[in-house]
Amino acid sequence: MHKINLVTRDGHAIAFDAEARESLLDAAARENAFLPSACREGGCGACRVTLASGEVRLDSYSTAALSDVDRASGDILLCRAHAQGDLDLRAPFDKSAIGFAPVPQRRARIVEISAAGSGAKRLLLRLDDDPMLGSAAEFLPGQFMELSIPETAITRAYSLANAPNWDGTLEFLIRQHPQGAFSSYLADRAKIGDALALRGPQGSFTLDDASPAARWFVAGGTGVAPMLSMLRRMAELGDDHDCRLFFGVNTQEELFALDAIDALNQALPRLQATICVWKAGPRWSGFSGTPVAALSQALTASLERPDIYLCGPPALVQAATAAARAAGLAHERIFSENFSPS
Amino acid sequence: MFCYQCEQTFRSTEGDGCGGGKGMCGKDAATADLQDVLLHVCEGIGQYLHRARALGATDAAADRFVLYAFFTTLTNVNFDAGKFVQLIQQAAQIRDRAKALYEQAARTAGKTPEALSGAAVFAPAKDMNGLLAQAGEAAVKKDANLLGEDVVGLRSLVLYGLKGVCAYAHHAEVLGEERDAIHAAVEHALDLLASDPKEIGPLLDEALALGHANFAAMEALDAANTGAFGTPVPTKVRMTPVKGKAILVSGHDLKDLHAILEATKDKGINVYTHGEVLPAHSYPKLKAFPHLAGNYGGAWQDQQKEFAEFPGPIVMTSNCLIEPQTRYRGRLFTAGPVGWAGVRHIENGDFSQVVQAAQALPGFAADAPEESITIGFGRDAVLGVADKVIDAVRSGAIRHFFLVGGCDGAAPGRNYYTDFAEHAPQDTVVLTLGCGKYRFNRHDFGTIGGAEDGLPRLLDMGQCNDAYSAIVVASKLAEAFGVGVNELPLSLIVSWFEQKAAAVLLTLLALGVRNVRLGPTLPAFLTPALVDVLVEKFGIQPIGDAKADIEASLARAA
Repeated sequence: MHKINLVTRDGHAIAFDAEARESLLDAAARENAFLPSACREGGCGACRVTLASGEVRLDSYSTAALSDVDRASGDILLCRAHAQGDLDLRAPFDKSAIGFAPVPQRRARIVEISAAGSGAKRLLLRLDDDPMLGSAAEFLPGQFMELSIPETAITRAYSLANAPNWDGTLEFLIRQHPQGAFSSYLADRAKIGDALALRGPQGSFTLDDASPAARWFVAGGTGVAPMLSMLRRMAELGDDHDCRLFFGVNTQEELFALDAIDALNQALPRLQATICVWKAGPRWSGFSGTPVAALSQALTASLERPDIYLCGPPALVQAATAAARAAGLAHERIFSENFSPS
Repeated sequence: MFCYQCEQTFRSTEGDGCGGGKGMCGKDAATADLQDVLLHVCEGIGQYLHRARALGATDAAADRFVLYAFFTTLTNVNFDAGKFVQLIQQAAQIRDRAKALYEQAARTAGKTPEALSGAAVFAPAKDMNGLLAQAGEAAVKKDANLLGEDVVGLRSLVLYGLKGVCAYAHHAEVLGEERDAIHAAVEHALDLLASDPKEIGPLLDEALALGHANFAAMEALDAANTGAFGTPVPTKVRMTPVKGKAILVSGHDLKDLHAILEATKDKGINVYTHGEVLPAHSYPKLKAFPHLAGNYGGAWQDQQKEFAEFPGPIVMTSNCLIEPQTRYRGRLFTAGPVGWAGVRHIENGDFSQVVQAAQALPGFAADAPEESITIGFGRDAVLGVADKVIDAVRSGAIRHFFLVGGCDGAAPGRNYYTDFAEHAPQDTVVLTLGCGKYRFNRHDFGTIGGAEDGLPRLLDMGQCNDAYSAIVVASKLAEAFGVGVNELPLSLIVSWFEQKAAAVLLTLLALGVRNVRLGPTLPAFLTPALVDVLVEKFGIQPIGDAKADIEASLARAA
């Protein structure tokens, strides 16, 4: 039995024992510490932490979830890691991202389905009243819910795009994949009033409230969802951190959530939003290029040392991380969530 | 960072005080440093207001800002570094206004305005990094090497006592009761602190002057609470929940509680008090709300467990707040001077979001078995039966009064207060106030003489500021017996944690009350030499073994 000591971003220590044959994630769960995770198969990166000391054996994983660069920096995946001795771990998430009770199972009904640009849909759900949990939508901005497709055992994880609220409203931005199971359900079968089973909130991609640094958010496509949640919450609290949003899509037709971003510009005087279109047509007057390119330019032009929040396809997250590191930002101040197609 | 203002401050053989990345209370180094800077700018405000007042010019809004600003720096109140950056900018603007007021008043009086130095001219940076770089100028111990720990400790006693005065005065002010004498005393203390005082004598005098000012602040708060909500009466309070939606109100602020009661009228939501809000149930205009359902939980240090288990929103109206845990952070609201980064703050008395939250959260599924205690023995209630009390003392039915109260806390040694109260002999009365009461208020103390309608042996006099009530009762009893307060069969066993308690202690000393037993530890900012002064002048004693201390108290009075 090995002793594992994990220190969270906000300085709390969680200790648990682990045997070599079980993953660190399972070991912690056995002691009722439910560390952030999603796929639990080495594919998404939600359970990434840094190994500060000690040795682990890693089962096979996807480099989309854990890049070679991050592995070389000492990062591991909790769902893949097996302790070979006592370990010290450093987590990029706060204690608030750890559950000390099993993840809640909820039911919610579809309230609205609408187009979000040409390649995505906006899904609005309302939670059913639960006698134990009530009807409020309680979660940390940046977290996700696992949605089950009705009459199947198929689940998909989507980030919440709205801020926590008392109405029980949950907003998701869902990219349409031609063969995607949830995409097909939304396109072909979903109706207002359908009941969905949900598991959540889950996830460790949350704001570091205690950090005084500026916050720069970099998002590709529906990766903007958790950023919207974070920015909407900041607006609600009258937060006055300097903040920038770099939001990119491939083509102008794919643009969405512009009204929401406009509203945030009004509500957060210190927000600078840069909308990026990669393959811009002649009528595009915003930034032409990827959000990573916009980020690099901004880092070069500014003396700021912001906290960086990244969300989108793995390639975007990796490229943005590299750009941030190249500009001298510390590994511990870069927080990210990968969106893998599923 | 360096702070040693609370009873829970870090103690070690190398020295006392919190000086790392975070205090024992949870405030981070940046917040601690910014609080020092805010207090420093406020001293500058005081330098000008003190001189302006001498020329007949005052700025009530500036005085009110100082009270609020000081309150945000009490232990367990505001942990939001970003908020302090804003408050410092505001303080600097108010200081400019106070300067203009003073200079105008001087010129009108045909005098040349003094060119002040120190805090009066300190130019705070506009951003957090800049302010943190300046924090050394405002540090508590900045002159320790030059002046020694005794002077620094005494300056700290003045500063921390001033915090308590400001907090009570702020509570009174929000209910419309202000006293010029308090503002004058605050300005005087700020000016003294800004003058880099080096002598023990003037600092000790200032500490006692603040004790008098705190008496006035507690009187003002008493007038504010009774003026707004009526005279407290003995009241039975349910200590377990009933079925239904629920809101929990903690802190000290009765005005916020009243606003929440109004906002939840006829909505099927029950309101529960927590911690120091328990005495609210004794005020006629608050207990008149049928949905003020009871009290939930105990003293402030249990909140992380109690708030997590409470199935509704929680409003923290003043101290003590400690790090909100995930399970309830999203349904916690702060009000008044309280703040935590990422926690919703209610600025304007509009509690409608709290109502919404209560409706969306589950509430209690069933009635818990009923348990109650009786509270509300304010001075009117006690003096209302003064004849019975006096007769009981004369006949020996009451041998002694113990006032066991003050702040509670988590330290293991605080079970002393449970032991003390529960071992107090049957022919003694235990008066209590503050959240120290939770160490023994569920215990059945019975009555003097044992008859059901006899005088209850435990008299809960209210919140910590109701020390005012206790002092008035003691004075009236002393008058009735023709003795001084120190000759009464009365022992004060005071527990402290933060700066309101420090101010109450100064009040007791200023009024000449001797032999106060102070615990669970003595303040870290009182050096051995300063403790000697307090022991010599006032007979202050530490706590020891509860039973032995009971015997010693009875023997001293005999």
